[in-house]
Amino acid sequence: MPPSRSSRSSLQSVDLRALDYLTTPSANLLCPICHSPLITPVQTRCLHTFCSACLSLSLDRSLTCPIDRQPLSHDEVTPAPIMIANLVNDLPVLCPNHELGCGESCARWLVESHVREDCGYAVVKCVKEGCSGVVERREADAGCLHGEIECEYCNDAVRLADLESHLRECPKVSSECPHCLQSLPNSELVDHIPECPEAIVDCQASCYGCSHTSPRLEIGAHETNCHFVALTPVLQFHAERISTLELENKAIRQKLDLLVPPRPLATPAAAASTTAQPNQVNAASSSSSIVTTTGRDMTSEMQDYTFHLYSEYEQLRSDVERLNAQIRELDVKQDMARINEGLRYNDEMTGMRAAIDGLRMQLHWLLANRREVGSTGSPAAAGTTGRSVAGTASAGDARRMSVDSARQVVKL
Amino acid sequence: MAAVKRITKELKEFNEKPAPGISAGPVSEEDLFKWNVILTAPASSPYAGGAFTLRLELPMEYPFKPPTLSFTTKIYHPNVSNDEKGSMCLGILRSESWKPSCKISQVLEMAAGLLNEPNVDDAVETGIADEYKNNYDQFAKTAREWTRKYAK
Repeated sequence: MPPSRSSRSSLQSVDLRALDYLTTPSANLLCPICHSPLITPVQTRCLHTFCSACLSLSLDRSLTCPIDRQPLSHDEVTPAPIMIANLVNDLPVLCPNHELGCGESCARWLVESHVREDCGYAVVKCVKEGCSGVVERREADAGCLHGEIECEYCNDAVRLADLESHLRECPKVSSECPHCLQSLPNSELVDHIPECPEAIVDCQASCYGCSHTSPRLEIGAHETNCHFVALTPVLQFHAERISTLELENKAIRQKLDLLVPPRPLATPAAAASTTAQPNQVNAASSSSSIVTTTGRDMTSEMQDYTFHLYSEYEQLRSDVERLNAQIRELDVKQDMARINEGLRYNDEMTGMRAAIDGLRMQLHWLLANRREVGSTGSPAAAGTTGRSVAGTASAGDARRMSVDSARQVVKL
Repeated sequence: MAAVKRITKELKEFNEKPAPGISAGPVSEEDLFKWNVILTAPASSPYAGGAFTLRLELPMEYPFKPPTLSFTTKIYHPNVSNDEKGSMCLGILRSESWKPSCKISQVLEMAAGLLNEPNVDDAVETGIADEYKNNYDQFAKTAREWTRKYAK
């Protein structure tokens, strides 16, 4: 690379969103908002990933996650894992100047430096000091082309960069007519060529088969005698009729295709062979099903088709009936299962209720006992232990009784 | 502009993988924000055989604001207002439930789904919704009649 090239960096900026990707990126790497591969990916509190710019646009309008609508603020957005950023930055892209002719493709993270420093089609400042023009980098080394010079033929001021195309069109430059070799200025040549008497032209009936060609001067003499020219009006009329018929035919075919789905057409070769050898019945029998398109065959084909549709319909109907029966069976089964479940739950519920009743009775008894002990037990406890032992024993009896009664309830 | 880019992408995607029974595209190449849609009603619905044209309008703020969808063909349906606007009420098109990640193709598929199974709990035409719930045969009869009259 010549040093003069690298010293001028391009003014062109790269819009990463407009890049064309070489491969179709995985749908997981696309931003749900702009549907392009993520650019500077960020992650929300609810772990969804977006382009940084897209998400901040969305948050400006509504402070919710664009995917699950959970509340979300700007502070709850963090850069996405570096791996995601690497995955999208490594995607291969075409140079943004590929339409101008640059065939370069590279990883996305390299494309900006490619345009800034390498791409021959990127726009750079003109090499000349003080010139404000811009030029594609591949042409920059040819020097400044923005100065104007005078065209030597028409005396107009022409930019150096445009000189080549100007000379081709300059009205004062003379060129030779390719037919009569006369030298004429460009402005007149344009009108001259279609009229040049020396130019070789076709007979006007050439489209109907006349192969005669001669210089324009002599064609008139030929055309007065040409049979094709005499027939032209008739031929033209037929050509027009054929084209209208073709159009009509096309429309009819479209309608037919709507009614009957397209089927493999008989190939012309197969049709020709069967019509050429009508006596070879055996050979033709294999291809007879796909042969001609005569009216009789059409109707029988239609009948076949209707019959086919009808049988398919019948089949579908029986399918539906079968499915219906199955569904009904399943329904019954499920009902039974539900009823059984319900019974079981009922039983369990009564058991639970009884147990709770028992517990409640025990609690009542315990509370009553505690109250009794609280009022009478404290002085007595200080006196004799025997009494307290008797008290516990009687308490034990009472508990047993209450448990028994609870059991009875459970049994009930 | 972000909206244009995203719409172009969606259009390309839709053209590559069109949904059955739905054809859609912008009215003109210059204005990508207005789409014409044609829904072909499923054979199992009372609208069978009908082709309904709709107008999809995308706001300039798309995809941050929801598109609007309206029927230009008259239709007897609980979720489509029975006036010259023919606006369709579709849950995801309300601005409070719209998400920027929703796609045009999803919206159109949901609209096509409503032809098959109206959402009576979220109806604009409550009269039609009541009829659908309580007197389905009468509903289906009127729907078929309207389809024959307007959508053929």
